[in-house]
Amino acid sequence: MTDGKKKQGAAATGEPLPIWFFVGVILLVYGLLVLAAYFMAAPRETVLASTKPSLWWGTIIVVAGGILLGIGLKARQQ
Amino acid sequence: MKAITLAPIDWLIIVLYFAAIIAIGLYLRRFTRTGNDFFLAGRKNSSWVAGLAFLSANLGALEILGWTGGTMKYGMFVSHFYWIGAVPAMIFLGLYMMPFYYSSKIHSVPGYLLLRFDERVRLLNAISFAVMTLLMSGINLYLMALVFKVLLGWDWHVSMWISAAAIGCYITLGGLLSAIFTEIVQFFLIWFGLFLVSIMGIMELGGVRAVLSGLPQSMGRLWATTGDPSMNAMGVHWFALVMGLGFIMSFGYWTTDFLVVQRAFSSKDLRSARMTPITASFFKMALPFIVVVAGLVAYKLNVAGLLPFPIDPNDPSKTWNDAALPLLIARYYPVGLVGLGITALLAGFMAGQAGNVSAFNTVWTYDIYRALIKKDASDAHLVRVGRITTVVGIFLSIATAYLAMQFNTIMDYIQAIFSWVNAPLFATMLLGMFWKRTTSKAAFWGLSAGMLTSFAIFIGFKFDLISVGLAHALTLSANPSDMTRNIWQAIWAWLVCVGLTVGISFFTKPKTDAELAGLVKGLTPEPDERAVPLLARPTFWAAVALVVFVALNVYFW
Repeated sequence: MTDGKKKQGAAATGEPLPIWFFVGVILLVYGLLVLAAYFMAAPRETVLASTKPSLWWGTIIVVAGGILLGIGLKARQQ
Repeated sequence: MKAITLAPIDWLIIVLYFAAIIAIGLYLRRFTRTGNDFFLAGRKNSSWVAGLAFLSANLGALEILGWTGGTMKYGMFVSHFYWIGAVPAMIFLGLYMMPFYYSSKIHSVPGYLLLRFDERVRLLNAISFAVMTLLMSGINLYLMALVFKVLLGWDWHVSMWISAAAIGCYITLGGLLSAIFTEIVQFFLIWFGLFLVSIMGIMELGGVRAVLSGLPQSMGRLWATTGDPSMNAMGVHWFALVMGLGFIMSFGYWTTDFLVVQRAFSSKDLRSARMTPITASFFKMALPFIVVVAGLVAYKLNVAGLLPFPIDPNDPSKTWNDAALPLLIARYYPVGLVGLGITALLAGFMAGQAGNVSAFNTVWTYDIYRALIKKDASDAHLVRVGRITTVVGIFLSIATAYLAMQFNTIMDYIQAIFSWVNAPLFATMLLGMFWKRTTSKAAFWGLSAGMLTSFAIFIGFKFDLISVGLAHALTLSANPSDMTRNIWQAIWAWLVCVGLTVGISFFTKPKTDAELAGLVKGLTPEPDERAVPLLARPTFWAAVALVVFVALNVYFW
């Protein structure tokens, strides 16, 4: 058996990465994109725009994504 | 009308979602080799994973958009569908029914009917469920395309085919495991993509009190106006709410519909399986904070003339209340957040459809294909059939979606199928699990008669064949809303099924105790929680859920 096949076999018999890892990555990326839009995209006229929802909600998404990513990585190690 | 315009970064967020779910499907492909892997996600999930998937399988965008719009018509009454219409049933499933389901190591709900009764009962349920899920999947697809066509100007065909192809791709690759992973992603996207709408609405109106105050009395309370159906927006009596919605419809859906129950079957052990619906019940109770709050905000803004609604594309004589949530997204969300909000809706539509397809492929493969076509099929063969069935199921969903596009009225029939199938099935399950005297013949004829009763009442109301006097006798209301009719239709179907099943059981031969071991109360070992720490006990968390449930109902009485 080649090394490549051995590695493939090991992966197949192992466990998939925890779902929290994937959710964490997706939220982290989305949170960063929302923040990027706040700083870089042309503003769109919306009601309550002065409350800067992209800024604080984007930050909340980044934090939540980071926490879930951490949970996923910790679960993977265990 | 095109209410929402997307910027490049919004498009990027949407495209990334498609890329992520297909990548997850590709990654999970290598972990889905056996039938258990493909159809039951390997039976390895924790109660958190299974619980969130259990809830998400029901949490389609159809439900979120529909009930946000429904709040504009029924007000606070919509909360009943999240509280009394779900929580008691979820707790009952976890505490009392799951031991029979999980311990019998079945792949599907029809599989339990085979063990408890016979092949006829299993096939009756399997075929009706398979047809129901496929049609629902198609309707889901059609409504998704409709929402995006009207609000974003997307092409019908492109949005239907692209989303169907993505779903087909990741379910074919990873089976139920893929479906569960994407359902959990969808759960978080819905909270992070849509909850902000409620928060912004509360901020605009000046606080929670301002949202709740000043509503018409018929819409503003949960129970205070249910003594007289003419006093509330839904035209429903409290008895119908408790018996019809809280017991028959809710238990019929949450305890027997394989689409949701399948997620609990994927748990790693019996305790996790029992915790699955109990965990889900907490999140279910929280959903009105998105759906009902957003609906009330939309209602108030609409009354104040600040949020005009488009004409209903299916009925030009009405305004389109289901557009409430997307209109609020357009009102409050800046660039970037719009993409996230639309992705949340898209994820909701797609996860709902994926749930239907993954449940369909399991029931078709195990309960129809193996039962009728190839009894000696190997495990590998069944996985292959499951994958092919997924692709076929997707094409049939697309065909249903095109049918619905041509004949809009067909949706009324399809959406009513739930009460044709689930309400009488709950009677059969309840008697089967808790009364060992129930016989197979009685179950078959009781279930058939219950389904026919429900169908007959639906047709009677649909074509005005039911007189005013009979309608009053059937629904306790002189002017029942569509929702009230649905509730009573389920009550009558359930009663007919119970009556016939009990009656016929007394005249036919039951199975022996040995045949029923592990399937019926009294002949199945009870789960022993004494050695389990308090905080890990399903009964403890069920009690907490009940306390929260009662508190919410009392507060909004």
